[in-house]
Amino acid sequence: MSEQTLFKVTIDNITIEVPAGTTILNAARKIGGDVTPPAMCYYSKLQGSGGKCRTCLVEVSKGSEKDPRPMPKLVASCRTNVMDGMEVKNITSDKVLDARASIVEFLLINHPLDCPICDQAGECHLQDLSYEHGKEGTRYEFQRRTFQKHDLGPYIQLHMTRCILCYRCVYVADQLTEKREHGILDRGDHAEIATQIQKSLEHDFIGNVIDVCPVGALTDKTFRFKNRVWFLKPMDAHRDCPTCSGKVTLWNRGDEVFRVTARKDEWGEVESLEDGSTAWICNTCRFEKKKTSDWVIEGPRAISRHSVISQGHYQGKIGMHKPRETFTAVHGGRDPKLLMDIHSVSEVNRPSIDLSLIEGPAHSTDFNLKKD
Amino acid sequence: MGVKILLDKAHIEGIRTYEVYRREGGYRSVEKALKTMSPEAIVEEVKKSGLRGRGGAGFPTGLKWSFLAKPDGVPRHLVCNADESEPGTFKDRYLMEFIPHLLIEGLVVASFALGSNATYIYIRGEYAWVAEILEQAIEEARANGFLGKNILGSGFDCEIYVHRGAGAYICGEETALIESLEGKRGNPRIKPPFPAIQGVWMRPTVVNNVETLAAVVPIINLGGEEYAKIGVGKSTGTKLISACGNINKPGVYEIDMTISVEEFIYSDEYCGGIANGKRLKACIPGGSSVPILPANLLLKTAKGETRYMNYESLSDGGFATGSMMGSGGFIVLDEDQCVVKNTYTFARFYRHESCGQCSPCREGTGWMEKLLLRLENGQGKISDIDLLWDIQRKIEGNTICPLGDAAAWPVAAAIRHFRDEFEWHVTHAAEAVKSNYGLAHYADPIHVPVG
Repeated sequence: MSEQTLFKVTIDNITIEVPAGTTILNAARKIGGDVTPPAMCYYSKLQGSGGKCRTCLVEVSKGSEKDPRPMPKLVASCRTNVMDGMEVKNITSDKVLDARASIVEFLLINHPLDCPICDQAGECHLQDLSYEHGKEGTRYEFQRRTFQKHDLGPYIQLHMTRCILCYRCVYVADQLTEKREHGILDRGDHAEIATQIQKSLEHDFIGNVIDVCPVGALTDKTFRFKNRVWFLKPMDAHRDCPTCSGKVTLWNRGDEVFRVTARKDEWGEVESLEDGSTAWICNTCRFEKKKTSDWVIEGPRAISRHSVISQGHYQGKIGMHKPRETFTAVHGGRDPKLLMDIHSVSEVNRPSIDLSLIEGPAHSTDFNLKKD
Repeated sequence: MGVKILLDKAHIEGIRTYEVYRREGGYRSVEKALKTMSPEAIVEEVKKSGLRGRGGAGFPTGLKWSFLAKPDGVPRHLVCNADESEPGTFKDRYLMEFIPHLLIEGLVVASFALGSNATYIYIRGEYAWVAEILEQAIEEARANGFLGKNILGSGFDCEIYVHRGAGAYICGEETALIESLEGKRGNPRIKPPFPAIQGVWMRPTVVNNVETLAAVVPIINLGGEEYAKIGVGKSTGTKLISACGNINKPGVYEIDMTISVEEFIYSDEYCGGIANGKRLKACIPGGSSVPILPANLLLKTAKGETRYMNYESLSDGGFATGSMMGSGGFIVLDEDQCVVKNTYTFARFYRHESCGQCSPCREGTGWMEKLLLRLENGQGKISDIDLLWDIQRKIEGNTICPLGDAAAWPVAAAIRHFRDEFEWHVTHAAEAVKSNYGLAHYADPIHVPVG
């Protein structure tokens, strides 16, 4: 093995060395925190993905050490490789923030915003994106587009109106199964995910389209309308599965397993196993094994501190990822000053309810403030 | 009478057949190139000629050819982009229909220069009969030894295949064309890698417009330097302009880029003036995606100089007061035309033709269309005009391929130069559905922030 060339890249005033051939987005992910551009279509485990949603646009203010010219347009950080000495502006560039806000607006004009009845709510990338970069209102005054319903079989529910056409599920079918049954039909704003002739998606690994879907367009029929994700306890578990690695996350409430998903990392992507392969799970694990006795429980799953799922406050037992705080570095050493602790005035999210202490299913009364 | 080097023989009886074309001096350039020149020398000659891509972007062809990667053992391809779908542009169809052997001749020379043994013509599905004409021409060329194995004893093999598209505008974008040629969905690829490195089947590929490839023939016949003497400045050679709209003589004209826009519109040799004695209101000089220009800015630049029909002069003033040569689709609007309706028609086209791959174009084009329809129908609001401006600004430059830009520019230019007409559609809604604004008092373009 030859020595890997390392390239020095500066993203929002934070310098990092990454191997040649790394994309700007992956370099930013190594830094972590706020300087990482959001990505709706890029999926590091799926070859060829990315470049489509345009949420990860960044400004390259210096091309490289050799050619310091800035790039004329904003570039998709998920598909642009770093060069030595490159300087990238993400959250420090007004142009980027403006473009990103407009992409969010574009993505939302035809999105139904049915979060209250959407199973993806709470772990939806589009929700996170709109929360961080969106505006409070919409300027769109027309009817949102709708689609004819397509039935994809007994396990996978397709809500085409929620789809943002990231193509991730198409890549999953291309790369994980021998035969792809679904794809993009039509074009433009009426392009849709569908099977050419109504057909159910049947393959041992096709269930992974649910995990890669950034929005609630593809959801688990066995979990549909059963529970909200933030009421569930994510637990790592495994079983001896003949088709897949068998390493999954169980979403429990009490002893009941509500759903089974692959283990996702802090970017919402399915984790890599020790041997470097991706921990995709098979349909049997995902849809059939819904009893605790089917599984060997390993322990609680670490959830990002920013995720609504972590609002269950599984103190001590369930670890929470603390993302790297980059604010000070981005601002050249200046520290932010906390003006007010929201928890001292707000009744919402009062950190005194401990889901892990509740026996059995939690009820709404459990979330009322207890005065004892 | 301007110089004609492409269409000079286009109207000779029977020029479509090999015999007549050959008799009139056809395939001389193939003989010259394959027998006396090396591939490098041809590329050098094209560089010297200063030929610029005739498909719209105007990129120097010789430079493009020199970027072609030449790894050992990997075949290279030349693809001719005959997916001419820009509204207002029909010059390639004319060329292919009347003088198909000119394109075949150019293709053989260019294939030899680039080392392409399998060359493709990607033609749009609507040109069904043109594809048949081309196939017949290819047959004739092969029968006479200008295609196939060992052409003219030079040891160079070349086959030309005609590939019919399904009629999508987006497949005129070179990477979408390549995807479509490979049999996939015509979605543009993300660049880099550029086609010159990884194109058709991941092999180095050059994609050129029909007219560009046809222009290789006179370049070889005349020599690059001689060709460069035609035209002016960096706009060398001749350009085919497809003129349409409210003019007396719509059609395809070959110009040598030294004539003024005024002469082109009003002289009898070309468009022959505005039809029915009307006055000129506006013009889209290079196909639907380039900015529209009001009459005053069309005939004279913002500096007061005469505007000429060439790359530099048409783009003089940037997008604030200029336009682009584009693909040469010259659309003339007289005083009876409504700019709002015209813009809506274009927006509808781009909404329909967006591939739906990247979000700004997919969602933005539909939004613009709906807003423009509302304005056109007299149901709009003043704020819609600002909203349109904002949407086009957010599409432009943020998309994978230039279709986003192409959709944004006409809207931007229409608002930039004809904002008063848009406002009139709001303030005089009832009137706007029955009549139109007529000739506006647009002596000075209304100031709008450029961004």
